[in-house]
Amino acid sequence: MTCVELQESLAENESGSSAEQRDHLRNCPECAKLVAELLVIACSAGDLRAAHEPDPRVWKSIEASLRREGLIRPQRRNLSLLPSLGSQWSWARWMAPAAALLLVSLGIFLRQHSQTTDTGAQNIATPAPVVSDAAIAGLNDDDLLQEVGLQSPALQEQYADNLRHVNQYIQDAKNTVAADPNDEEARRTLMEAYQQKAMLFELALDRSLQ
Amino acid sequence: MSGHTIQLATISAVLAGTIMSGTLFAETHKEYRFNVGPRAGVSVNNPYGSVSVKPSTGNLIVISALLSSDKVEVDNALVGNRVDVQSHLLPGADAQSGRVDYEILAPADASITLHSSTGNLRVEKLHGDVSLEGAAATVDVRDITNAHVHIKTLNGPVTLTNVQDGHVEIDSLSGNVTLRGVNGPLIQVVSTSGGISYVGDFGDHGDYRFTSHSGDIDAVVPGSTSADVSARSVRGEVHDDIPLQPKQHTSFVLKEGVALWGTMGRAAVSSTVVLRSFSGKIHLRKRASE
Repeated sequence: MTCVELQESLAENESGSSAEQRDHLRNCPECAKLVAELLVIACSAGDLRAAHEPDPRVWKSIEASLRREGLIRPQRRNLSLLPSLGSQWSWARWMAPAAALLLVSLGIFLRQHSQTTDTGAQNIATPAPVVSDAAIAGLNDDDLLQEVGLQSPALQEQYADNLRHVNQYIQDAKNTVAADPNDEEARRTLMEAYQQKAMLFELALDRSLQ
Repeated sequence: MSGHTIQLATISAVLAGTIMSGTLFAETHKEYRFNVGPRAGVSVNNPYGSVSVKPSTGNLIVISALLSSDKVEVDNALVGNRVDVQSHLLPGADAQSGRVDYEILAPADASITLHSSTGNLRVEKLHGDVSLEGAAATVDVRDITNAHVHIKTLNGPVTLTNVQDGHVEIDSLSGNVTLRGVNGPLIQVVSTSGGISYVGDFGDHGDYRFTSHSGDIDAVVPGSTSADVSARSVRGEVHDDIPLQPKQHTSFVLKEGVALWGTMGRAAVSSTVVLRSFSGKIHLRKRASE
């Protein structure tokens, strides 16, 4: 499987867990990094499950940003907002909308929690969702550990330990944002927690680091 | 068979074993030289082993590689103004036989990118951008000026010493991060469970942000430091030995022992310092010698 084929196959299986995808990811740090970042975006987007459809202005804003960046053009036949996966620069073109999606996702998540909290302080104590980020994203932390176990068994325990800690970090950061949605620092900390998890996936899937 | 014969046979076997093992894990030294232009780039991907980068004289890059065995090769290429080096593991290579230790001399303005899993990564006396990534690799960066320094580790400890006017971003899952004499417009450390230690004066007009989920954060500063300091630990403790002028308005509730927010020194030249932890302790201290 080539890099292009891997990227195209992500439309069918975005977690990169098929046998062919895994074979490719073992030997391609760049694709591994992309998949790790997509998984974290998917995790973040999972927070939106209960949210209403975003205001059309949100989509218009994204579209305007993408036009300004030159990632889409107004008169093209292909009206999809998503850039092609087939070209040499598809990485960079994918990451901009992906980052935008992540930011919008987080913003909507925070807005949703802000509105919830405004309606009553008792909502602050609402327990965390039972469904985990990983389950929402269609991936399992165990898959990651299994991959590390195959590549470098000696590191599996370290990754398991770090995975446990970073999941707790995300949960604590979410709780802090829920307690005070206007706290800019708390929101930034939540983003950093997600980035830590992204980095863990990136390191785990980067064969050169094992 | 006489005792003498047995003794000779034993010695021969030991010698043969020594020679064989020496052959199997024979170290090889290789050196590569490249002439480059200003602001060149050096990228090294080394799964097992250390990488050390020091400044060279002139526009010359010299790469000395010590290969542990014939299970690993060094692939290198000059692409434009960039030298790419890859330790190429051959079938059967492991952490011991696949080890390569690099010593690199590069122009002081070169940008450096290093990857290693377990070896030490060391960069010193440069003013080009530095990007280091490793799992358990120990990272040591010192005497860097006016550069971006980006570091990612899983559990490897990170030490930065005398980094002036830097844009520093460090992410470590569980490695301890130590900063000594580090200042600049942006100094940011994020860790999940590692501790963060800062010894310095927070410069002026910089943005310093240290966050650890469960690690302790310790900042030691001289009494002359000027900084707007905000510190908060959700479930841990916050201590300070330095009197702060309290802020009129705060964006979070200040609870004794778990949060503080105030200005030390002259507000006009203050840096912004944000210290955050969930369950770790935060300690802001004045340097002991004062």
